[in-house]
Parts: sequence; structure tokens; C-alpha cells
Amino acid sequence: MQTPVTIPVPVLRLPRGPDGFSRGFAPDGRRAPLKPEVPQIQECPIAQESLESQEQRARAALRERYLRSLLAMVGRQVSFTLHEGVRVAAHFGATDLDVANFYVSQLQTPIGVQAEALLRCSDIISYTFKP
Amino acid sequence: MAMRQTPLTCSGHTRPVVDLAFSGITPYGYFLISACKDGKPMLRQGDTGDWIGTFLGHKGAVWGATLNKDASKAATAAADFTAKVWDAVSGDELMTLAHKHIVKTVDFTQDSNYLLTGGQDKLLRIYDLNKPEAEPKEISGHTSGIKKALWCSEDKQILSADDKTVRLWDHATMTEVKSLNFNMSVSSMEYIPEGEILVITYGRSIAFHSAVSLDPIKSFEAPATINSASLHPEKEFLVAGGEDFKLYKYDYNSGEELESYKGHFGPIHCVRFSPDGELYASGSEDGTLRLWQTVVGKTYGLWKCVLPEEDSAELAKPKLGFPETTEEELEEMTSENSDCIYSSTPDVKA
Repeated sequence: MQTPVTIPVPVLRLPRGPDGFSRGFAPDGRRAPLKPEVPQIQECPIAQESLESQEQRARAALRERYLRSLLAMVGRQVSFTLHEGVRVAAHFGATDLDVANFYVSQLQTPIGVQAEALLRCSDIISYTFKP
Repeated sequence: MAMRQTPLTCSGHTRPVVDLAFSGITPYGYFLISACKDGKPMLRQGDTGDWIGTFLGHKGAVWGATLNKDASKAATAAADFTAKVWDAVSGDELMTLAHKHIVKTVDFTQDSNYLLTGGQDKLLRIYDLNKPEAEPKEISGHTSGIKKALWCSEDKQILSADDKTVRLWDHATMTEVKSLNFNMSVSSMEYIPEGEILVITYGRSIAFHSAVSLDPIKSFEAPATINSASLHPEKEFLVAGGEDFKLYKYDYNSGEELESYKGHFGPIHCVRFSPDGELYASGSEDGTLRLWQTVVGKTYGLWKCVLPEEDSAELAKPKLGFPETTEEELEEMTSENSDCIYSSTPDVKA
């Protein structure tokens, strides 16, 4: 029986399984609540390092939240406040790696609707959307 | 070149997987819980299948498991005559709810304030999770063990299935509104809030009914006895699995069988679409869960579609689609194998 030649979909890796020695729910995992006061860290002898790592953790969590907010924005109507009191609305598409440009479509400008556009981040003061 | 489905196998359970459920979409993605006869339900990241943790505490087979909408709580139903509520972030047990017999099914309301349970004692119980010490409200009427109980119509009604009947109850009055009789054992039930559709499987049939009136909408026949079926959120496809170890994918509108997939080494007990419809998960007698792509070849989760022209070096650059994989991890994975991993793990203990 001749079967058609097909390529199996490539995968990055296989799903990670249980570690075999703990029940999981890593305390420093993605959903771990950010506690303002962490007693364990204060007991650490090297106080300087612990403060830094606390700050780094907070930075990482905030960065992750920001990136997730960008993901949540995809395809939605976003309202941008630009310089000189200009407000425009558009459908959010994507940002580039450094979040220097916003790729949008159906940009409503005072002189008409632009099908596709690139908004420079340096031109944007703020933006808002409803998830 | 046509792409062939690569299912992702989630190992870890040592006995058959009998139930699985997805959470809603949360700011951290979505999650998956699996109920297993080994008594150790597991929480996994929904889009990758990565294990997050195991809920330890039950002393018998876990027959039912569910997550609340934001995946902050989990509930499990077990053969040790208890249902338990867990903190799904820390893995800690929050409540143990004693029953008089094996508990088979658990379901949270949308606001996570109430838990519905059902089992071999033939009673539906509603627990107020804000008052765990209070006695639950009980609804009797079933004449055989309850297999599945679900909240529906914005938690104003309850749907429950026993061996040969599916019943609709009004929550406020705790009385039966309507019932359906079957001459074959009902194997599974799924409720789709958008559109108020009820998916029921029995024998080789996959039936769709209105969740409001219980009136039949349509039904399809599969080539083998089906144990579970799930309708895609956009109602374009449905997937079903059962005793012949295969997963079937049908077009919901035409009923045409689109695909069938082999992979499991035992009967499939449960199938569910993810909340975004991009994948579906199946749990089997072989002790594994498998994740399958709805659109084969699409880049999503751990599946990465590589076009023939692309350099293998492309794989080393982290892309926005994989927030959970760090740059180092990606480079580590891809430098070991410059070729992609093609097939899923073959060794599975049946």
C-alpha cells in the first residue's frame, strides 16, 4: 500500500514530565505570588546579593506581565495618545523585538484611515485598550 | 509537502488516565488537570503539556478532576469517598469533602463559589466553598451512580448523567426540569456554554443536544465505541476517542470524518479541546496524555513549523511565540539536535 510521503510536524522538545522527587508547584514558578516581604531572603548572610536577586525577580515578573499584555492586545482595537494631543485608534498587530515600533492596521488618523502603518514608540505617549 | 500530526506525549501517570479538564485562559496561559487511577492528579501547562505539580493526598483512584476558570483552584473526585479542593498555585489541599461512596465528578461554578459533586451514592451535592463546614445541599433522583455533573446556563441549572439518563435540574428549586433516556450506557458529557450545546457519547454515537431544552440537534456514528468527545470552541470540528485507541476528527457541520490518529496504546477515556481551540488533549488507559494540534503544522506551543528554506540556525533564535522558553534553553535544545525531533516517545507502559 503506497502511503503519501508526509513530514511529521517538528517539535522543539517533548513536554517536561514530573521531576520524580518533589510534588512540583515550584515556589519560584510563573504563578508564585510576589510577596513584598520574604523572610527566607532576609536570613541570607549576603544581604546585598539577596536584595539584587529580589529586584531581579521583580523586574522579570514585570517584564513578563508587559510582554503578556502585548500578546493580549493582538487583534484588538487600541487607542494611542501621541504628541501634540493627537489621539489615534488602530488594530494592534505586533511590536518589534525592542518594542521600538508598533505594527498596526486600520489606523484612524485625522486625514483618513491607513490600512497598515508603523507607529514609532518614541511618538507614543500612552496607549489603552480593553481586553 | 503535507505535514503529519506529531502528538506530544505527557508521561508521569502510572495508571490509566480517566478524566481531564482545561482551565479558562488566564494571564499565565491555560492549564490542564488530569485524573488518574494512581490517585495522583497532575497539573500541567495547557499549551506545552509541561508538568507543573502533582496533587498529593487522595487515598484511592481519582475519577474526576477540574480547574476553576482562572486556574487558581482545582477539585478532584476520588474512590476514597472524598472530593478535595486544592490551591492550584501552591498545590496545597484546601478542603476535603466527605461523601458516602465513590465520588466521580466535580465542577466549579463560574465564580468558583460553589462546587457540584456526584458519584456512586446517586446524589448531587452542592457545596458552598465559602462555608466548607456547612452541610451541602443535596439533590436526589438518579437511580444509578452519577458519572458526570455540570453547571450550565450560567450556573442556574445542573446537568447530570448516570448510566442510562441525562437529567436537567433547576439550581434554585433543586428540582428536575427534564430528562433524556438512553438504551445504551452514557460514556461522557460535555457542556459548551456559547450556544448552549451538550455533547453526549453513548455506544458508537456522538450526540449533540440543546443544553436548555435537551432537544436533539444532530448525532454522528463513529467506527468504534466512543468514550469521550469534545466540540471545538468555534464549533467547526469535534474530536472523539474510544475503545479502538484512535482519535477521530469530524467536521461538525457536515459530519464528515476528516482525520483519524493512532498513537495511544490503550482505549481513550477522555478528550477535550483547549479553551483557544488550538489543540486537544486525550487521556488513555495507557497512562499517558497526548496533545494534538487542531491545525496540523501550525507553529504553536512546542510545535514549530520549519519551512524547508529556513536555516537550522533559525531555531536557535527565541521567538515571541514561546514565552516560557528562555534563550539559553532554546539554544541548548537545538544545538544538541540540529535535526528536529520527529516522533513522540515510543515506550509507554500499557
